[in-house]
Amino acid sequence: MIPQVRAEVIKVRSTRTTLGLVLGMIAIILLFVILTALLTSVGQMSEREQQRSLFAIGSFAGLFAALAGIMLVTGEYRFGTIRPTYLFTPKRSLVLVAKVVAALIAGFLFALIGEILSVGIGSVILDQRNISIALSHHDYELLTIGTLIGTALWGGIGVGLGMIVRNQVGAIIGILAWGFVIQNLLFALVPSVGRWTPDQAQNGMMGMTDSHLLGPGLGGAVLVFWTIVLCVAGAVMAARRDVN
Amino acid sequence: MAAVVRAESLTKRFGTLTAVDDLSFVLEPGTITGFLGPNGAGKTTTLRMLLGLARPTQGKALIFERPYAEIEQPALRIGAVLEATDFHPGRSGRNHLRTLSAATGIPDSRVDDVLRTVELDGAANRRVKGYSLGMRQRLGLAGALLGDPELLVLDEPANGLDPEGVRWLRDFLRSFAAGGHTVLVSSHVLAEVAQTVDHVLIISRGKLVRESRLDELTAGMGGAVRVRSPQAERLREALERDGISSTEASGALYAQGTTSERVGEIAAASGIVLHELRVEQSSLEEIFLELTSEKPE
Repeated sequence: MIPQVRAEVIKVRSTRTTLGLVLGMIAIILLFVILTALLTSVGQMSEREQQRSLFAIGSFAGLFAALAGIMLVTGEYRFGTIRPTYLFTPKRSLVLVAKVVAALIAGFLFALIGEILSVGIGSVILDQRNISIALSHHDYELLTIGTLIGTALWGGIGVGLGMIVRNQVGAIIGILAWGFVIQNLLFALVPSVGRWTPDQAQNGMMGMTDSHLLGPGLGGAVLVFWTIVLCVAGAVMAARRDVN
Repeated sequence: MAAVVRAESLTKRFGTLTAVDDLSFVLEPGTITGFLGPNGAGKTTTLRMLLGLARPTQGKALIFERPYAEIEQPALRIGAVLEATDFHPGRSGRNHLRTLSAATGIPDSRVDDVLRTVELDGAANRRVKGYSLGMRQRLGLAGALLGDPELLVLDEPANGLDPEGVRWLRDFLRSFAAGGHTVLVSSHVLAEVAQTVDHVLIISRGKLVRESRLDELTAGMGGAVRVRSPQAERLREALERDGISSTEASGALYAQGTTSERVGEIAAASGIVLHELRVEQSSLEEIFLELTSEKPE
């Protein structure tokens, strides 16, 4: 087990893909945090929920963790390295588990960066604008756990999705369409269904207080469930399908 | 003796297309076997089944008498290259090898060893994107060698190589096999491997059409030995006494169904001077084409 994880970590670290994802993530989180913290009125920004939303911007790292997970799998199919990978480790489920572990580690580190940016920069700007923090200690705990664990899990979701789809462009377009359009529409139109999506489950996990959302504990459990379901489906498909 | 590679009634169907059709063969240790056939004959599909990448529709594909996926740390016994282009272009050659060595717990020092073996140590830290096709072929080979395997399986390794690269590969495979190792190398050009292999498996449309030693292929299938002699007429008679027919064309004799060794021995026994003695390459190609060409059924 350990050797395969090491191999996957080397894969993550040895191309510029990961660096590109991290830089893109930093840029987007910074942009949203700065714009939100500066442009929201003092009155609004003083509210607990608005502050919670500001600090939750770090969870944008989840999208990038998912992309990293997708690339870790689909890159192997795109460039054919899946062949040597399976020649060295013919037990495909072992390869998948190693990729999931590597993606969870990467996702956790992504989240750490996102969390530091959103809470750190956000707090500095609020302080400069003389806005006092309305969030409780417990709010911070939920935000931090939800961002770190939730984002790490998105890395695993990316791996599972990549194993199912295999086509890199298809998987990336799929996750973007899902994250920005489909799950939002679903939650807006049918919240009783939409709250069970991994995206809204993570929102619940972070302690967001929309009345339709699941609670933090259930949200976390649902997100773990999705990760496991997608990874098991990916493992089953990987075991059945021939490698060209 | 336990076989290194064993295919038993190996069959692969894709829908209605039968890519590999009831293929059976055995490779003994210490042999270099050319796996030959035109493009689309089913060579790569067969290798993929042997290496556990594709599942046989029927039959067995065994390496060291076991399915590939059941071999513990297979890279320590089997080295294989299926495509010359299986690299992430943005990853350096050394890092590509490290992703593989790490998975089998092979130390990094071995990565440097194989890079030297394939003469890529100078380019190891450059991204694969900038490698020539020959360098990529050698990097693939380096990956196969990481585990110091007993068996090497190479799919069309000479594709796209320049003559110098082909020669380098030939020398490499010979020295690899000289250590008692086994090689299975596929090609769609017989001449490419004729100087390297000692056995041939020829397949056409998924079926085995010929399995033999290379020299027997030449001898048994009317391969011509080209021989020039100032005493051509005496030589022709000497050959005929030995049951070898020959024809004269453009100043040389073409002896059918024999080997250059036999012709040389007959000439020496009769005290005949030879100016030239060689197996006609074109006749090898002709055999190959004859065996693999589409015949109406």
